[in-house]
Amino acid sequence: MSVIAPKFRLGHFIKSITNDIFWIVVLITLIGIPVIFIVLFYIDLPVLDGELVTPFLAFTMLAHPELSIPLIDSFMNTDFFRIAIFPGFGFAALIAGSTIFVERKLLAKLQLRVGPFYCGKIEGILQLVGDGLKLLSKEIIIPAKADKPIFWAAPVLFVATAAAFVALIPVAPGWVVADVDVGLLAVFAVIGFFPIITVLSSWSANSKYPFIGGIRALHQMISFEIPLILSLLGVVILTGTLNLTEIVQSQTSYWWIIFLPIGAIVFFITMLAELERIPFDLPEAESEIVAGWLTEFSGMMYGLVQLGSYIKLYAFAALFVVLFLGGWNGFGVIPPTPPEIVDFGIQAGPISVDLPGIEKLTERTLNFSLINGVVWFVFKTVIVIFFILIPRGVFPRVRIDLLLHIGWYKLITLSFVNIFIALGLLYAGVLGPGGLL
Amino acid sequence: MHNFLYLRKDVKATLVGEVFGSYSLVLAMFGFAIVVMAPALIISRMISPRTRSNPVKFLPMECGQVPSGAGRTHFMMQYYSFILMFVVFDVMAIFLYAWGSTILNLEKTATLPIMAFLGIMFAAMAYALYQSKRRDIW
Repeated sequence: MSVIAPKFRLGHFIKSITNDIFWIVVLITLIGIPVIFIVLFYIDLPVLDGELVTPFLAFTMLAHPELSIPLIDSFMNTDFFRIAIFPGFGFAALIAGSTIFVERKLLAKLQLRVGPFYCGKIEGILQLVGDGLKLLSKEIIIPAKADKPIFWAAPVLFVATAAAFVALIPVAPGWVVADVDVGLLAVFAVIGFFPIITVLSSWSANSKYPFIGGIRALHQMISFEIPLILSLLGVVILTGTLNLTEIVQSQTSYWWIIFLPIGAIVFFITMLAELERIPFDLPEAESEIVAGWLTEFSGMMYGLVQLGSYIKLYAFAALFVVLFLGGWNGFGVIPPTPPEIVDFGIQAGPISVDLPGIEKLTERTLNFSLINGVVWFVFKTVIVIFFILIPRGVFPRVRIDLLLHIGWYKLITLSFVNIFIALGLLYAGVLGPGGLL
Repeated sequence: MHNFLYLRKDVKATLVGEVFGSYSLVLAMFGFAIVVMAPALIISRMISPRTRSNPVKFLPMECGQVPSGAGRTHFMMQYYSFILMFVVFDVMAIFLYAWGSTILNLEKTATLPIMAFLGIMFAAMAYALYQSKRRDIW
C-alpha cells in the first residue's frame, strides 16, 4: 500500500523552514546585496538635501522606510519610470492583461458559460499566468518558405508600435511619457504603422490565409483611417490645439461628447474597426479564413501579437477618454487635506493628533491630485473598454463590401456633419473666445 | 469658456533639438518595448521543444490539405480603388488639421476658402466613390 501523505512531524516541519531561511539568507548576502550595489553604482543617483547620494547611502536609505521615500520620489520623476512603469509600458500592459481576463469572463457570462474557472481557485483568476507559461513553453513553428527575419520581427514590432501609441496618452496632470506639441498628429502617424506591420507579417508568412487576412486588414484599416481623422477635427476646431494635455485641460467644465456626440460615435465605430474587433474582425475571421493574418503565428509570437493588440485597445480607449470624456477631470474622490490639519494636526477637544506623513503626501510626487486624476482616468477608460468588449458577444461580422460602404459613405458624411456642428458652435458664439459658455 | 486656451499665441522659434527632445521619448518607448519583448521570444525559443523530424510540420497551414501553389499569388481583391482613394484623401484630411488647429486665430473670412476646399474634396470623393462601383475597370 502506498502512502498518500507522509506522517506530519513538527520537528521535520521546523527543520525544513529553518533550512529555507538559511538558504534565503545565504543567497541574499552572497548574490542579492552585491547585485544591488553593482546596479546602484551605475545609476545616476539624485542630490537630496544638497548632498549627492552615494551607493552606500542609497543602500542605507532603501532599508529605512522613512528615508527611502525621497529616493523613491526622485525615481518617480525620472524618464525611465515614466517609460517603463507608470504612464508607460507597465501600466498599459497591466490594463491590457486584465482586459484579456475580463473579456473572457464577460463573454462567457454573455453566452451563459462560466469561462476560465479552475486556475487560481477563485474564478480562474490565475488563468493568464497559466496561459503565459503555456505560450512560453510551446514550440514556435515557422513555415519553411517564410521570410524569417521579418516574420520574427513582426510581433515585436507590433507590441513596440502599440507602446509608442501609449507614450502619447496623458494619464494625469503632467503624467505623460512624451508631451508632444502636435500630439494628435503623432497619434495618427503611429496608427498608420499598424497596417504596414500587418501586411509585412502576412506577406512574409508565404501562406494563403495570412495573405488574404493581411489584405483585408489593409483595406479595413485604410478605409476607416479617414473617418477617424476627420471625426476628431471637431475637437481640434473647438480647442484650437493639437496637444492632448491641453485638450484635456479644456474639458474642466464640459466634456466634448456633450457638444460633439456624432464625432464621438464615429470615432468609436472607427476605433472598433482599427482594433479589428467584432463586428469588424474580418482580418481575423476565424470561421472564414482560419485566423486571418495570425494563422501562421504559434507559441509566444501569437502571445506577443495578442498583448500588442490589447495594449492598442487600451490606448484607443484612453484616447477616447482624453478627447471626449474629459480625461482625468472629475470631482475629488480623495478630497485635499485642509491646511489646518497639515499644520496643527487633528484637534478634537483636548486631544490633538499630529499627522506628520500627511504633509509629505501633499508635496511629494505621489500626491492627492495625481491619485485623483488616475482614479478618474482609469474609471472612464474601463467603462470605454467595456463598451468595446460588449459588441463581441452581441453582433455578427459584417461583409467586406458593407464594411467599405460604412466607412466611405456613412462615416465620412457623419464626420463632415460633425465638423459643421463644431463650426456652427464656434461661429454662433456658444463656444470659443468670448463665447457664452 | 477657458480663457487661457483662446489667447492669441505668439509665434515662437523653437530649436530643432527641443522639438526632437519630446519625440525621442516616443522612440525610447518603442525601443523599451522591443528590449522587454524580444527576450520573451528568445527564452521561448530556448526552453520550448524543437523537433525537426517531420517536414510536413513546416508546410503552410491549409486546413489539413497538402498546400498547393505559391503562398504569394496575384490576388484579386476588387476593392483596389479604395486604396487609391486613401492615398489622396488621407493627405487632404491632414491638410484640414492645419486649418482646424489655427482657426481661433484666423479671421472669419478665412473659413470661406476652406468651405470651397471642402466642397471640392467632397465632390471629388463622390466622383471617386461613383467610379469605385464600376468593378470592371479595376
